[in-house]
Amino acid sequence: MVKKTLEDIKNTLQDVDASEISYAERGYHLAIEAQKGSLVSVVEFFADKGFYLADLCCVDYVEYLELVYLFNNFKELCRAKVTLKVEPDKPVAPTISHIYTMAHWYEREIHEFFGVYFEGHQKLTYLFLHNGIDCYPLRKNRVPVTDDDKKLLDSFKPEEEEDAFFINLGPQHPSTHGVLRVVLKMDGEYILSAEPVLGYLHRMHEKMAENRSYQQFLPNPARMDYPGALLFNLAHVAAVEKLCGIEVPERAQYIRTITCELNRISSHLLWIGAFLGDLGGLTPFLYAFDDRENILDILESATGSRLTYCYFRFGGLYNDIDDNFIDMTKKFIKRMHERLGMYEKLITKNVIFINRVRGIGILEQSEVPKYGCSGPIIRSTGMPFDIRKVEPYAAYDKIDFEIPTGKTGDNMDRYMVRMKEMEISLNIVEKAIEKLPSGPFNAEKVPKKLKPPKGDVYHAVESTRGETGVYIVSDESDKPYRMRWRVPSFSNLMTFPALAQRTLLADAIATMGSFDLVIPEIDR
Amino acid sequence: MNELNNIMSIIGKETVRAIIGLIGVLVLVVINALILTWAERKVAGHMQRRIAAKEVGPFGLIQPIADSLKLLGKELITPANVERSLFYLAPTLIFIPVLVSFVVIPFDSYLQVKDMNVGILVILAFSSLSVLSILIAGWGSNNKYSLIGAIRSVAQNIAYEIPLLLSLLPVIIIAHSLSLKDIVEAQNGLWFVVYQPFAFLIFFIASVAETNRTPFDLPEAESELVAGFHTEYTGMRFALFFLAEYTNIFIVSAIAATFFLGGYQGPILPGIVWFFIKTYFLVFVILWMRWTFPRVRFDQLLNFSWKVLIPTSLVNLIITAGILKL
Repeated sequence: MVKKTLEDIKNTLQDVDASEISYAERGYHLAIEAQKGSLVSVVEFFADKGFYLADLCCVDYVEYLELVYLFNNFKELCRAKVTLKVEPDKPVAPTISHIYTMAHWYEREIHEFFGVYFEGHQKLTYLFLHNGIDCYPLRKNRVPVTDDDKKLLDSFKPEEEEDAFFINLGPQHPSTHGVLRVVLKMDGEYILSAEPVLGYLHRMHEKMAENRSYQQFLPNPARMDYPGALLFNLAHVAAVEKLCGIEVPERAQYIRTITCELNRISSHLLWIGAFLGDLGGLTPFLYAFDDRENILDILESATGSRLTYCYFRFGGLYNDIDDNFIDMTKKFIKRMHERLGMYEKLITKNVIFINRVRGIGILEQSEVPKYGCSGPIIRSTGMPFDIRKVEPYAAYDKIDFEIPTGKTGDNMDRYMVRMKEMEISLNIVEKAIEKLPSGPFNAEKVPKKLKPPKGDVYHAVESTRGETGVYIVSDESDKPYRMRWRVPSFSNLMTFPALAQRTLLADAIATMGSFDLVIPEIDR
Repeated sequence: MNELNNIMSIIGKETVRAIIGLIGVLVLVVINALILTWAERKVAGHMQRRIAAKEVGPFGLIQPIADSLKLLGKELITPANVERSLFYLAPTLIFIPVLVSFVVIPFDSYLQVKDMNVGILVILAFSSLSVLSILIAGWGSNNKYSLIGAIRSVAQNIAYEIPLLLSLLPVIIIAHSLSLKDIVEAQNGLWFVVYQPFAFLIFFIASVAETNRTPFDLPEAESELVAGFHTEYTGMRFALFFLAEYTNIFIVSAIAATFFLGGYQGPILPGIVWFFIKTYFLVFVILWMRWTFPRVRFDQLLNFSWKVLIPTSLVNLIITAGILKL
């Protein structure tokens, strides 16, 4: 796949500098340097081949700004990094938002954080920052906001129209789960258009990373995705390990797998409760929390915290697990299998529930690459894409597990995929405990102060909501030069405006609930 | 005593009876609301694997009084830009039909404020008024969520009033009377739920929809409309909506008990005890439904009424009338 793609690039695109990269070191296979003129044709090439836009970010190298386009393929793993250098004084780049819908938001994000203009972008307004910002925060030198951009700050004001009215769903609303705001243009109970307004929980974690050492950033990822904190923790740790070339002992890998899967179940349980709450059923929430409580107890005994875990360290773990942990986990697995049967009776077979979710919010499989969404959302469309399988990390390559898929990609499928995932996670935990090797749980000789070699690395893990990727650029200092987080909910949310169009308000709420959005993760 | 007799002779026995009855009804409404707020918390708690209120009083029994005191002490916020007269009117208006309905309900063979020969018509006529106050509340609040909730409420109430009436008609045909007391007396042998199981089911479903309870609580669907028509109401004004909702639950359960479960009829225990046992059992079922089911969607709700409940109840009515004619 990689060789073929490289050949194709060399054959079809002339003035493009493409080369193969060591995947084990960098986390991507191909590095392509595009020019302003050739960028759109390169992106079109990837779009033709069915690649999805995993991430689009920018790095400020002071002499120039580098736009980084990360592509990957759903069918077979082939990560490609396309870079484009732009002037730091008046940065302008061509837009790719007409090819990849998701680029709409990525480009808006880069525009507000770096001041890069994307020619041809239809609505280059602010996405996260709304007022009170006077410079481009992720630039290395202080660059004041241009007058044109100042006008764009807080530019969102819906225009009143006849036969339609606007509803602000959020930021304070029971079913936006945090502080998401969606501006709905309504015709009676029908939604004409929906536009998410982000940034109410924006804390600039990416800038925080640049100002503290790798170790000091360890607690931060858990604050981005609080229900699935361990998985974000792992994404960060594993990316840095890849960058520094640290070998993690076998036992630590297995424990990482076990704890991550337990965390995945707890996150899914939280989601079930919230989703059913969105549909008006309030009781499953408490049932799910009852089970979740068990997982929190188990994880607390190992990690010391109950929600925002910071358990993994570079080269291993904070703490080894003991027999008590294993006993509790085994007991939980037994209990949870029974409880899953109960959930099936209580929720899955409820006629009202089925009527509310079946055939609602259908996401077509062909639409998926445009958005680059991931996780249960794309598995529900029938695409068996799971980072744990295609790009194994921790001990997932040593454990056999299946990937649940749906058929139609509606809310029911998203629900079923997550329910099956919980069962599969239980099996993974069971197998991992059986195979758990003895030995050290920490790598030897990991320096107290990490100074990774120069270069960049991309590492992705399958978090509860999808592909969570970390792109780190190192300049040999003890702080990351740039740390970029590719978060799944961000691209999953992008599908919402399309799915909500011409549906009833109640259906849109159900669809939004089925996405399992975590707002701190979207806003970062 | 002599003076009391004098007064009675001047204003008439009926009037005194009505005044005492109304005071009794008011007391019942308040006590019922207190019991139901407590019951709802307890039922919800135990269904959700938690203990619910237990600190205030034994088993948390004083909790509803603490709650109502809290609501009384709250500031009454009138948001800017509301239609003031309508905004104030709605919570008061919602309470009138609720009170009137109590007048004709027979709690026991001798315990009834007034036995009218059009009893059930009075209840149905007045209960359809409550939708008016919801509409006024939604419109007067000048809030989009409230307005959507109010519009939903109107459509829902119109759709479900028809099966509600149609499911009561077979019972009226069998009992040959509109008076609630006569209907109870007609169930001396067998309860009407045995003759009319479908009518009972239809009535029960429709009445849950009429009282805006889950799974039909669309006018106040909290995950969609925040709190629906009473989003903007605070303090005692909100409490009045709440009180009306709980009283409505009681009334529909009382009517169902009267029409289908033999009202105050029952062995050994006095009639009034039977009446309350039956009514509160139905109230419990309504609470049970709320904490078990998710909410239906608006179009499904209307379809269910127009396509399922109304045809079924019509067929049921025709069959009943036909059998009686034979």
